[in-house]
Amino acid sequence: MTADEPGFEPAGGSDTEPADRTTPRRAGYRHLMRAVLYREYLVFVRYPANAVGGIVVALFFFALLFYGGRMVAGRALTDSIEGIIVGYFLWTLSVGAYSSISNDIGSEVQWGTLERHVMTPFGFAPVALLKGVAKLVRTFLTSALILAVMLVMTGTALSLNVFTVVTVATLTVVSVLGLGFAAGGITVLYKRVGNWLNLLQFGFIVLISAPAFDFGWARLLPLAHGSALLQQAMVDGTRLWEFSVVDLGLLVGVAAGYLVGGYLVFQAATRRARQLGVLGDY
Amino acid sequence: MTASELVGETDESAGQATESPVRPASDDSVVVVDGLRKSFGSGGGAVTAVDGVSLAIERGSVVGFLGPNGAGKTTLIKSILGMVIPDEGEVRIDGVDARASPRAAYADVDAMLEGARNDYWRLTVRENLRYFATVSGVDPDSVTARHDRLLERLDLAGKADVAVRDLSRGMKQKVSLASVLAGGASVLFLDEPTLGLDVESSRTLQRELRRLVAEEDLTVILSSHNMDVVETVCDRVVIMSEGRVIADDTVDALLRTDDSHRLELTSVDFDDALRAALTERPAVVRTESLERGGRIELRADSDELYALFADLDERGVRLDDIKSVDRDLETAFFDLTGIDGPDL
Repeated sequence: MTADEPGFEPAGGSDTEPADRTTPRRAGYRHLMRAVLYREYLVFVRYPANAVGGIVVALFFFALLFYGGRMVAGRALTDSIEGIIVGYFLWTLSVGAYSSISNDIGSEVQWGTLERHVMTPFGFAPVALLKGVAKLVRTFLTSALILAVMLVMTGTALSLNVFTVVTVATLTVVSVLGLGFAAGGITVLYKRVGNWLNLLQFGFIVLISAPAFDFGWARLLPLAHGSALLQQAMVDGTRLWEFSVVDLGLLVGVAAGYLVGGYLVFQAATRRARQLGVLGDY
Repeated sequence: MTASELVGETDESAGQATESPVRPASDDSVVVVDGLRKSFGSGGGAVTAVDGVSLAIERGSVVGFLGPNGAGKTTLIKSILGMVIPDEGEVRIDGVDARASPRAAYADVDAMLEGARNDYWRLTVRENLRYFATVSGVDPDSVTARHDRLLERLDLAGKADVAVRDLSRGMKQKVSLASVLAGGASVLFLDEPTLGLDVESSRTLQRELRRLVAEEDLTVILSSHNMDVVETVCDRVVIMSEGRVIADDTVDALLRTDDSHRLELTSVDFDDALRAALTERPAVVRTESLERGGRIELRADSDELYALFADLDERGVRLDDIKSVDRDLETAFFDLTGIDGPDL
């Protein structure tokens, strides 16, 4: 049987029960996409404790920030609350996307399922990319809920043009997904480094705040440029088509650059792990 | 040297450790390994895990890899599967170079690896079968009947919709096997498939594996510490030691690798002094002290046996019991590897 002809007519003629004669059909990327996304969906709906826990913790910290900040900074915080909400929303999105993909790759290594994927006709790379898509969708759902509660809690109104917000936020977070792949690759090589890599998510706060420092080069960092555009979209009500081509081009370029870079790091780390014979060792 | 050039270099005497104890590749060979070598580390601390292994595995055969810990079995299997990149050598699966065209080479191959879950414990048994059929390149809707049959065969039908994490260890192992078979791969690598199972679960898995091999015309490459598994399931055994293949033959041939007789003699006359004297004779492989007298184990050809009995007769030894000891795979393994105990 080859990849193009995955038929496996079982041999009959044994003295036991005759084998069935169905001829299997080849599975393409459409089937793979359905299988990976469905698996992610099943895990999400069956084991919601992680997602619920994440939402509760995120809201707890926001409440601490909001009420604590109001006590300390008073009006100064209230005046900038819109920017803080958008930044916090983007931070929860980034942390969700980054940690879910990097931790997921670590789990696949630990379970031995990554090794098993490596030798399949599709390999692990498209599976990992599809997982990334699923994680992104999942993170959007939880972060949208967090955003809604934050708006109610603070009594704030933001411009929520769904098309603009989803497009800008997605492209912004894709760069972090690339970092997640790179972190996953490092986990493949060095195993139990997940806790160290999770520290990176606190660096996201700096990246999300980078536009405030007005360094031109900072816009090439992950999250920074997207954060600025998302502020404009959600606070000032700028629509997607109202952004300049340069801004949108930079947003797409940064997203693609970090995604491809992270993916290449993951591929290189996997190959190195195969050379060292540590792909499945945990 | 290619695997096909190994023709004529194999040793006719079955199972003896020789310079090239491997079987030649034939037109029917589905897995061909040629000069595979893999070292870990560098400099003085480098360890050669696989040292120039060449072998060929015929379609439809069940081949067992045996060897002590560190013999290189798992590294060899993972190198064949591309999970470890070898330093040298070539692997061809169904004629396809696995290094050059891995996707095509492994399209009909699946593996159950030692110590790994191999499947997703949060999914149900059936969901695992469908998922792994898909990643193996098969539309799961087209193999639903096959999955039902597999679940029946492995006594998992009643648990088809139960999450794997809620199953017993034996059942989890069966789910691993089922998920490996779910995509219809005809070449399977099973690394320690019965590891951690109790005797009953292990026997059930062996029985089902043998039956599936017959029904599905599978080629199975199996590594196990358990000699019973290898003896029960495999047609052929490849014994490895220190990264090399030291024997490669059928189970039957390995069981008759020498012409010696194996006997166990018990006598009240086997006191400490006599047993000590008898250990000087090459035919005596083991002695044991009993409450009254002792016991000796012999491995000898006919001439040695007559000579030993004449000696015992001269010494006035009266034998209380004579038992013939069957040669099993474990004995053959110990003989070939030179290992003393059962700590494989």
